[in-house]
Amino acid sequence: MTRRRELIVGPNFSGRSRALRALLRETSFLPASFFVGPYAEAALSGISSTIADEVQIYRTTDAQSLRPTYAPIDFDALADRKPQTLSGGEQVLLALHCFSRSAFTAIAVDTALEQLDGANRTSALACLERGDDFQFSVALIDNRIEPPFANWACRERKPEHPTYICDFSAFADALVPHKARAITIRDLHFGYRPGRAIFAGTDLMLEPGTAHRLLGPNGAGKTTLLKILVGVLRPLAGRMLLDGETYEPWRTGNRAIALATQNPDHQWCGATLHSDIARRRSVLAARATAPSDERLSLLARCLGFPSLDLHLYELPLAARKRLSWLWPFSGALPWIMLDEPTIGQDSETRRQLAAIVGRLCTLGYGVIFVTHDDDFAARVPHRVLAIEEGKITSRQQIAAGLQ
Amino acid sequence: MTTLRQGPITPNGAAGFGLILIGATIAAAAPGLAAVAVIVAAFAAFEVRGASGRAIRRSLVLVVPLAIFMLIVWVGIVGRSPAEIAAGGVGSRGAAFLHVALIASRLFVVVCTIQLIAARFAHRTPLDFIGVLRVPVAAKRLFVLTLSLVETLRHAIDRAHTALIACGLLTHGASIRNLANSWVLVQTVWLTAITIVTGRLRDKWPVEHTLGLLDHALAQGEQRSLSRGDLVWLPAAFAAAVLAVVVR
Repeated sequence: MTRRRELIVGPNFSGRSRALRALLRETSFLPASFFVGPYAEAALSGISSTIADEVQIYRTTDAQSLRPTYAPIDFDALADRKPQTLSGGEQVLLALHCFSRSAFTAIAVDTALEQLDGANRTSALACLERGDDFQFSVALIDNRIEPPFANWACRERKPEHPTYICDFSAFADALVPHKARAITIRDLHFGYRPGRAIFAGTDLMLEPGTAHRLLGPNGAGKTTLLKILVGVLRPLAGRMLLDGETYEPWRTGNRAIALATQNPDHQWCGATLHSDIARRRSVLAARATAPSDERLSLLARCLGFPSLDLHLYELPLAARKRLSWLWPFSGALPWIMLDEPTIGQDSETRRQLAAIVGRLCTLGYGVIFVTHDDDFAARVPHRVLAIEEGKITSRQQIAAGLQ
Repeated sequence: MTTLRQGPITPNGAAGFGLILIGATIAAAAPGLAAVAVIVAAFAAFEVRGASGRAIRRSLVLVVPLAIFMLIVWVGIVGRSPAEIAAGGVGSRGAAFLHVALIASRLFVVVCTIQLIAARFAHRTPLDFIGVLRVPVAAKRLFVLTLSLVETLRHAIDRAHTALIACGLLTHGASIRNLANSWVLVQTVWLTAITIVTGRLRDKWPVEHTLGLLDHALAQGEQRSLSRGDLVWLPAAFAAAVLAVVVR
């Protein structure tokens, strides 16, 4: 049987995921395909309690189906861990590991590789490239690959109808200034398990009016640091200061940082955009920075959403991801944290988002972003904060376009 | 015919042991419950050994808050036992206390039995444990899916916490704010759990036929026969069950 490598390309909302599903009904992808969706719900089976069980469900014993095992991480050493405790990128690597040990003769990947760091992304693409050698077909959606892509057939999708059309210039004009205070972290210690420190005596200084890029391989602790900063996790030791004043969001509640999570569905506080916003605003009470409905409606319209009465879970994933920026960019809080903000976004949206982040810094906000998208990062003047062996090292300011 | 092997208790023996004891616990009055508790304690001492402490601690963590809640309701608010209410008598807080103590003790024995069996087979993964049980594949699938639902709920709780703490509605530690927004947490957990499950059912499972893969993985489990260890614990559990039913 002919083995195929199909890259589905096009802008957001052009029906790429639908095209992927249609492709999976064609001969080369039957009777079943392994599926790696954008986030854990659609990347892992969801029926296993441990990593060992996840591998066991997919593992084949048929000698004819065996192919080289893809294992960028030693999953055997993590056998007892729950799959959900892995980072987003590690979950994608686990899914690819399971595929490599399965008897599936086809795999479909929907934007999942965008969560991988440079080295893992290269190795994952190399693994998929070897479909010809090991007799499997591949269907791929990836916003960071521009066609033509050597040895891959490209299916280009055109915008079907005008939905979620953004007006980023109006959005940038609607942003309001803010005065962020410097965040200082001293002697931070954190680990999920005894004896396995993620941060060991880390010091960090975050300046307002500056974008900071958290950099590190998958599983290094980037999202963990963001969770500590907003108070979701409590450090084992260390101090956090806002302009020299003690700040303990894990005890007093987060009142400084707006977080847009990697998976947008991890940040909703309601089923509709309106209820989500109402609950967020209730925390700010009478604070002057609490954005009004009118202002949020205006920003939502600029992002392509006609009203606040939207049912969040009925929207496409790319639209939910875009909506996840609404609250952080509304001026409600002075610090903005963006965890992989460009996942699932086409090149034009990523370019516009970079400009918005740059503008926010000039307006006085402090920004921290986590991304493996070097093209996006190169467009934002930023300081690199590299997580290496439990420490964070700050590197020089990178000028836009020079990285 | 089932052949008898040398060796310690097997998953099938442990499952039977657990089911008999749980059934007996539910049916037992106070004296019978003591007989069941003796067998559970012996199982902890001889089969689980060092890991027993952790299993017992976990059981206490689960049962004590429920027991406190029941004490508040039955002893503090109602002030009579259900039997006294049914009889239309005046009743006493002492009787209500005894009622709560019996319910909480039963609950503790049930939870502790499950925790001890889990600790005894901690070296096996859940799929591995369920795979070797001598029950139809449909029943094994039901066990695995039930476990996965528990994991999904735990994941949903984690996700909802992240969302609500990040936006300031909750705090990591105990606070009045948490109490005030507890209903929002409940809503968010359910919404999250439902969307996780629907996402899985819509995107992943139909493309992969994931349940078919699960059946295949479960059918591969080695169907192990009973061991001599089982022949110690199964009759012991059965004897405790008889005592629990007979001695009132």
